[in-house]
Amino acid sequence: MLGPARLVTMMKSKTLHAPLLALLCGLFPAGCRKAPAPPSETTPAQRRFTIATVVKLDGIAWFNRMQEGVRRFAGETGHDCFQLGPPRADAALQVQLIEDLISQGVDAICVVPFSVEALEPVLKKARRQGIVVVAHEASNLVSTDLIIEPFDNAAYGAHLMDHLARYMGETGEFAVFVGSLTSKSHNQWIDAALARQQAAHPQMKPVRDRIEEYDDQNTAYQKTLELLKAFPALKGIQGSASTTAAGAGLAVEERGLQHQVNVVGSGLVSQCRQYLESGSVKLISFWDPADAGYVMNRLAVRLLESRPVTEGDDLGVEGYRRLRRDPGRTNLFYGSAWVDVTTNNMAQYPF
Amino acid sequence: MAVRPSTPAPGDGLPGPSETGFIAIRDAVKSFGAVRALDGVSLGFAPGQIRCLAGENGCGKSTLIKVLSGVLRPDAGRITIDGVPYQRLRPLQAIRLGIQVIYQDFALFPNLSVAENLALPGLIEARRFQLRPAALRPAAEAALARLGVRLDPERRVGELSVAHQQLVAIARALRQQARLLILDEPTTALTHHEVQSLFATLRDLRCQGVSVLLVTHKTREVLAIADAITVMRNGRIVAQGSGADFDADALASALTGSEVGRTLPAPAPIPAPAAEPRLETGGLCSGAAVRDASLRLAPGEILGLAGLLGAGRTALASALFGLRRIDSGEVRIDGAPVAIEAPGDAIQAGLAYVPEDRLSEGLFLPRSIEHNLAVASLSARRPRRATLDRRGMRRLADDAVAAFGIRTPSVLPPVHTLSGGNQQKVLLARWLATDARVLILNRPTAGVDIGAREDIHARMRRLAAGGLSVLLISDELPELVALAHRVAVMHRGRIAGELAGDAVTEAALAAWLDRLA
Amino acid sequence: MKHCRHELVLAGAWLALAAGISLVNPAFLSLANLFDLLKAGVVTGILALAVLIVLVSGGIDISFTAIAAFAMYASCRVLVAAGSTDGAVAGMLLATAIGAGLGMVNALFIGALRLPTLIVTLGTAGLFRGCLLAFVGTGIINNLPAGLIRLSRWQLFRQTSAGGETIGLSAAVLALAAVAVGVAVLLQRTVTGRSIHALGGSAGAAERIGIRTVRLQCFIYTVVGALAGLAGILHAITMRNANPFDLVGAELTVIAAVVLGGADVFGGRGTVTGTLLGVFLLVTLNNSLILLGVPTYWQRVWIGAIILISVAVSARNRRAAASPREEAPAIGTPSQ
Repeated sequence: MLGPARLVTMMKSKTLHAPLLALLCGLFPAGCRKAPAPPSETTPAQRRFTIATVVKLDGIAWFNRMQEGVRRFAGETGHDCFQLGPPRADAALQVQLIEDLISQGVDAICVVPFSVEALEPVLKKARRQGIVVVAHEASNLVSTDLIIEPFDNAAYGAHLMDHLARYMGETGEFAVFVGSLTSKSHNQWIDAALARQQAAHPQMKPVRDRIEEYDDQNTAYQKTLELLKAFPALKGIQGSASTTAAGAGLAVEERGLQHQVNVVGSGLVSQCRQYLESGSVKLISFWDPADAGYVMNRLAVRLLESRPVTEGDDLGVEGYRRLRRDPGRTNLFYGSAWVDVTTNNMAQYPF
Repeated sequence: MAVRPSTPAPGDGLPGPSETGFIAIRDAVKSFGAVRALDGVSLGFAPGQIRCLAGENGCGKSTLIKVLSGVLRPDAGRITIDGVPYQRLRPLQAIRLGIQVIYQDFALFPNLSVAENLALPGLIEARRFQLRPAALRPAAEAALARLGVRLDPERRVGELSVAHQQLVAIARALRQQARLLILDEPTTALTHHEVQSLFATLRDLRCQGVSVLLVTHKTREVLAIADAITVMRNGRIVAQGSGADFDADALASALTGSEVGRTLPAPAPIPAPAAEPRLETGGLCSGAAVRDASLRLAPGEILGLAGLLGAGRTALASALFGLRRIDSGEVRIDGAPVAIEAPGDAIQAGLAYVPEDRLSEGLFLPRSIEHNLAVASLSARRPRRATLDRRGMRRLADDAVAAFGIRTPSVLPPVHTLSGGNQQKVLLARWLATDARVLILNRPTAGVDIGAREDIHARMRRLAAGGLSVLLISDELPELVALAHRVAVMHRGRIAGELAGDAVTEAALAAWLDRLA
Repeated sequence: MKHCRHELVLAGAWLALAAGISLVNPAFLSLANLFDLLKAGVVTGILALAVLIVLVSGGIDISFTAIAAFAMYASCRVLVAAGSTDGAVAGMLLATAIGAGLGMVNALFIGALRLPTLIVTLGTAGLFRGCLLAFVGTGIINNLPAGLIRLSRWQLFRQTSAGGETIGLSAAVLALAAVAVGVAVLLQRTVTGRSIHALGGSAGAAERIGIRTVRLQCFIYTVVGALAGLAGILHAITMRNANPFDLVGAELTVIAAVVLGGADVFGGRGTVTGTLLGVFLLVTLNNSLILLGVPTYWQRVWIGAIILISVAVSARNRRAAASPREEAPAIGTPSQ
């Protein structure tokens, strides 16, 4: 999906030297493992669980933010919750971390998999030993007790289109970007967005098929420059990867077309702040990883306490107040946790 | 003729006449492991003299050159230049003192112009920074004029003929104030005519006071040009004297260390004309290089193919072996027309080709002798077998090593460890293992020492006597005279004519080639 | 002489391509588009000129994108950490210096230890990248110093149309022009440059005429590193952020552009003009797909096919140009 997903697909395609990094990781094990959070108060009636949150990559802004949510949950409930991740996006390193956690005997593992396929065996092993597994950004993972996704892909794509239509005044030409034609979530968003446009915004017109930008800001920038020349009447751009908003925003700003062309899409405030300020990007959308970290841990505790999770549950966090269960899979739940950011509220999301 | 070359006893301490001079080396010793490549060599060079250093492969010639040019450091002995003794020279120092080696590869830069090739060493030495291409031209023209060559200084050296490249290398050496010019086997890649003109250039340089050391094993050339002759064997100087002190027999016996006469056995009588020629080509055309070439080759016959460089001989051989496209004309083997589109077709038809440049075209240098011997038989003759018959390969290789007298402890070392002559034998053996009926040899003894050459010649005669037909491309007139039943002369892609039987003499061939050039 | 001919072919190919694209879409010939193409060629162009030097010397470098990314990211990190407010000059110098330093690491392995260039740079590419991500950082730096942002907004021939659209030529083009002139002078008009050609033509011969090949190689890889560092910081300036995952992966495209430009992968041949033409041919192809209306599904196929065809054609031309000696009848003999 967006944010870390983009980083990870990028790193996957550009990973040339995993063995070297494995070696580096071996040399500096401290970098791979965060010390468990210090114990805090526990209510005597409640059992104190040890819950590990394993992320794709340690140290990047996205997962630093997620860690805030994990810590908040630990502070509020007194469970022993900590987050760790490999120093480098590498499936093998993530597998190794989980192996270590199994031998430590944690109660639950919350995981944001780098590669679902690579993690299946080790997560299966974890569950056989009675460890509860909760996953995030992994709707096709099999070996898990529960999957929590921030939102339903179709709803997310459609809501971005509604915003775009509003900025474009319901009329005019627009273009849509995906990171890659093989990126499942990006294409689900765009499929839903185009369907919504046909149904609800018939005066708008897509200028061509979806454009690939290879999760690369420079490509998004160059392609947008080309679009502006090929379609001088263009009024809107909807991006999927977090690189599109920044790249397209740069192009629009350079051309001085922020009053004509409206860019909306997934993105992070840190990447898009200057373009939101200049008006070349109108709105970005994402989900807050802190909330995701918080609810993963909350769900893990629910399962450890043998309390079932059902449709409509309220997890006490904005965006997860009415869980939706996937019609095809009983342990897959969606929130509606996207956050729309414009110049008005961008100061609240400093990441 | 009585031969009285002086035979210095090593270490007798008395400098002979040849050990004085402006550059001299005394009592040089150099060992590689257990092998003494130089074993007390003393030699001096006088200005305005052409000295030939003759010796078979492995006699220590190359080591001596490397010591003189500072590439190798001698274990003992010293070099004296203008009266100053040096324990060892560094390569650049040797160049600065006027010692220049023209190696067989010329050490030129094929991608740079003639002018730049000539100027670069001086600019490097002077530590110059700027370079203006236009300013190099006059100096280049002057340097070439000194050799009596007219060449466009802007041309890239890679586009020049071998002979011209050699002249550029010599001109470059002279520009660096060469006083001793060492040429390492300079005639290997030259045609007869080019050799003559190189010798004329060297004689000219002698008049200008340059000392020339010509390293070669070709006795004819030694006798043709040398003012002084030094013969080495097993790391020692075994004979030396003035050019007049030697004749062909004396030189050959000094080279090989035997007193065997050098009279070549007469070629076998021309086989009775068979009903069908073994190989016949009619009106063969291939690109611009082969135009309407027709020749016949009887079973058991050796047909020499003479010509100037560029006459189209290599192209003809390549076309026959499927390495060049045949545009028109036909090839018949034993009367049956064959279509040759790739080397595989040629091998199937019973043709074998030993190319000119065995290093780049013929041998898989890093692979074992066994692999090199077996590769043609395995890949071409049994195309349907997917797996290698390892035992068969080893047997084939062992047999070939024994039959051809290839000097090696086993068939397993890589082929580049062998000497030139033995490498050539590997190539010959490889192709004969394919049961070829026609063997095409392209300059088979270029760069091969005299002993190995005799061996290869004897083998060719025996093979021909056994019914093999041989097409022999050679620039060495004595070789053609000694081996070929007939010699065809090729010129500008056509067979210009032929000599047969008693008419095949060096004089007749040389006269013909000079006429063409 | 042959270089000239190859360059004419490239220039002709570019003109034909331009004519073809502008027939399909006249917007191709707009000033805005030509400015965009020039700007798009800056980073690739500088990297290609660096690669040209290595190829001419008979070596190969595939670590240059890793060096560029490292120099870009590390220099931005330093500037931000130092609280730099301007950073324009400091950033360029710092990135170039870091690049040169990493180039020296290559030079050390290649020159001093005499290891093959492909092996060394394959290894150091991983090393530089690994060190960058493990020790310098992985997060995108979005708050570049003001000086760098100002540079990114600096345009030549800036003009605004009635509709408010602004076009201009990015000043980064000046950097490319300066590097091109510098590399051309180096390769053609200095003894060092001709020595680099000589090294690529025949390493053994270079040593024999007194070229200090080890020192020369150290110089070459240091210069390549410095140019890569400069290209890296220019990329950051263009993008207005420093993303450590950028640039890496572009090495093959860059090398293809240089080969397309007529440089010989086996060394000794290549010109600045040819390289720039090769770069702009590829940039034009790459940045005209939307103008041409090529469907997204076909774009990768198109680019791959074009690179394959053009590199194959130029390789064939070069082989035909190399004189097969036996072909030419009657080679002259030295006149007496």
